[in-house]
Amino acid sequence: MDNLNMLMEGFATAAQPVYLLYALFGVFIGTAVGVLPGIGPAMTVALLMPITYSLEPTAAMIVFAGIYYGGMYGGSTTSILLNTPGESASIVTALEGNKMAKAGRGAAALATAAIGSFVAGTIATVLLTFLAPIIVDFAINLGPVDFVALMVVAFLTIGALLGGSIIRGMASLLLGLFIGLVGVDDTTAQQRYTFGIAGLTDGIDVVLVAVGLFAVGEALYVAARMRKGPIEVMSMGTESGNSAKWMSKDDWKRSWKPWLRGTFIGFPIGTVPAGGADVSTFLSYAAERKLAKGKNKKQFGHGAIEGVAGPEAANNAAAAGVLVPLLTLGIPTTATAAMMLTAFQRYQIQPGPLLMETNGALVWALIASLYIGNLMLLILNLPLVGLWVKILQIPRPYLYAGILVFGALGAYSLNFALMDVGILLVIGVLGFFMRQYGYPVAPMVVAMILGPMFEVQLRRGLQISQNDRSALVSTPFTWVVYGALILMFVASFFIKRAQKKMESVQLEPELEESK
Amino acid sequence: MQTTQKNLGEVLFALVFVVLGVAGVIFAGTIEVPDLEFGMGPRAFPYIVSSLLLVVGAGLVIQALRGQLGDAEDGEDIDAEASTDWITIGKLAFFVIIHIVLIEPAGWPVAAAVMFIGAAWALGAKPFWRSVLIGIILALVLQYLFGGLLGVSLPRGPLLEGLEFLNG
Repeated sequence: MDNLNMLMEGFATAAQPVYLLYALFGVFIGTAVGVLPGIGPAMTVALLMPITYSLEPTAAMIVFAGIYYGGMYGGSTTSILLNTPGESASIVTALEGNKMAKAGRGAAALATAAIGSFVAGTIATVLLTFLAPIIVDFAINLGPVDFVALMVVAFLTIGALLGGSIIRGMASLLLGLFIGLVGVDDTTAQQRYTFGIAGLTDGIDVVLVAVGLFAVGEALYVAARMRKGPIEVMSMGTESGNSAKWMSKDDWKRSWKPWLRGTFIGFPIGTVPAGGADVSTFLSYAAERKLAKGKNKKQFGHGAIEGVAGPEAANNAAAAGVLVPLLTLGIPTTATAAMMLTAFQRYQIQPGPLLMETNGALVWALIASLYIGNLMLLILNLPLVGLWVKILQIPRPYLYAGILVFGALGAYSLNFALMDVGILLVIGVLGFFMRQYGYPVAPMVVAMILGPMFEVQLRRGLQISQNDRSALVSTPFTWVVYGALILMFVASFFIKRAQKKMESVQLEPELEESK
Repeated sequence: MQTTQKNLGEVLFALVFVVLGVAGVIFAGTIEVPDLEFGMGPRAFPYIVSSLLLVVGAGLVIQALRGQLGDAEDGEDIDAEASTDWITIGKLAFFVIIHIVLIEPAGWPVAAAVMFIGAAWALGAKPFWRSVLIGIILALVLQYLFGGLLGVSLPRGPLLEGLEFLNG
């Protein structure tokens, strides 16, 4: 098979020692930022954007993909071992993982999370390998109006699902679209919203906005309400002895099915623009809770291993799924994917259906490095977990001061303009208020990337049809997409309701304990 | 008292969206349209985005006035019970501004170290000398990695004049 040949060539590239080092660097940094509260892979990729000045595209994309995968692994360590009661409901793994750690089974929870992530990551990467060429073959025939339809779906789902409140998600999205308008219009070269300020002609850099929202905004927000006192990291084993109990035979038996189910829940959700990993972890958790029987079912809420294995697998599979629309259609559906697309653009590479044709070697080396990176991550996360626990204990003043320094570095190194650091601070303050008032920040970043692409396709579509608006719903593909959109919204309404129900159920046992 | 204050803040923040929407609609009219342009032109999308911003902003204002407030974001390092500490935020913003002022006259490493030390102090790091030590080391390492190795042209500043390996 031709694709297998391409993949093998990709492996030949990615297995060169220097690329292995880049992959190792990526997954290492990725795990570290995944472990640290307050920073995630999107922000890290944004902060490391300066490496695109000196590294060649393949190396940079391998680093970024490693950070992306690594971030998914690292997050589980935090949610299992960090003892921050009451607020972890948003991170599904913490529901059971935290309880397992309290019961002295932290090592088993970490192991099932790491192995599950590996299994899911690998299977999902295989799916990506085979699915991507098929989608490209199909996408190559899509016209502008079809892309408009796809991006409408992306906008609506990202705005509606990436946060708790739909209207706030939409506001964040529109703000991103608005900022994306500033600068020179791609089609006619007219200036828009620049007010004659030279610095605005090139538009406001998306990296600046991402770093401002994620790094500075987060630092300001944490500064305002920082948790005082020591950081309570739980030990991996039992309190008395340090004989950390690893996964028992029973744990394996209870884990492998959730791993697989999580994979097949996570991957499809990652591929459709449904807001990435969060939805998939919740669905996987709900499925495991429902499927568990007998005494295992009773363990839910008190540290059931299925509740860690499933969601962790789902979240890694979703991460691979997100790469499908990114690499085949050029549509980012998460903030990290948006940053990776920005990195492509820095190299004058335009992701889209033609990417695999024009930059096939790069794409296949990237995919091959995902397989390798997954294996590295398994090794990094099983024996070296002690190292990550140490990172978790970094005193928070240094952590957030460091984040500020990195953010300022990222902003300044864009154009070496002091004004950029000033804009960074302004956007940081905006990010602070958005967090304060419950606006999700991720839709804004994705919209800044998607907005200009959307406008180009929309205008092209209308030009072809000579301004006939009905052209926007003229192809069978657009009918399918808009039809699916309606279905998705009906479904998501029920999912959200179920999620609310689950969260309220989840609180009850804790209340009983405190009495 | 606390809730009314938060209420007011949310209304004001929602008004920002309305104001942006209005400004966007007004200034979209000033975008020049080339004569040869057919199809949508450069004004249409700004009109669409701005008017949607206006509508959503109005919805948010109404929600906030009715008392339907957003849930402040959770996080591992966030104390949900604590009230907003504006003084610390002010201190952090102040040190970012100091950083901007210092980059060109004093060089990036000095500006970065000052910002780190200031921010760590504002966030309650103790003892002070340790922040100073970490700040200086971090700034020099970053200058070496990004300026020296990756070739990002960060100004070294007069203090480190002559240290070629730090040069961007």
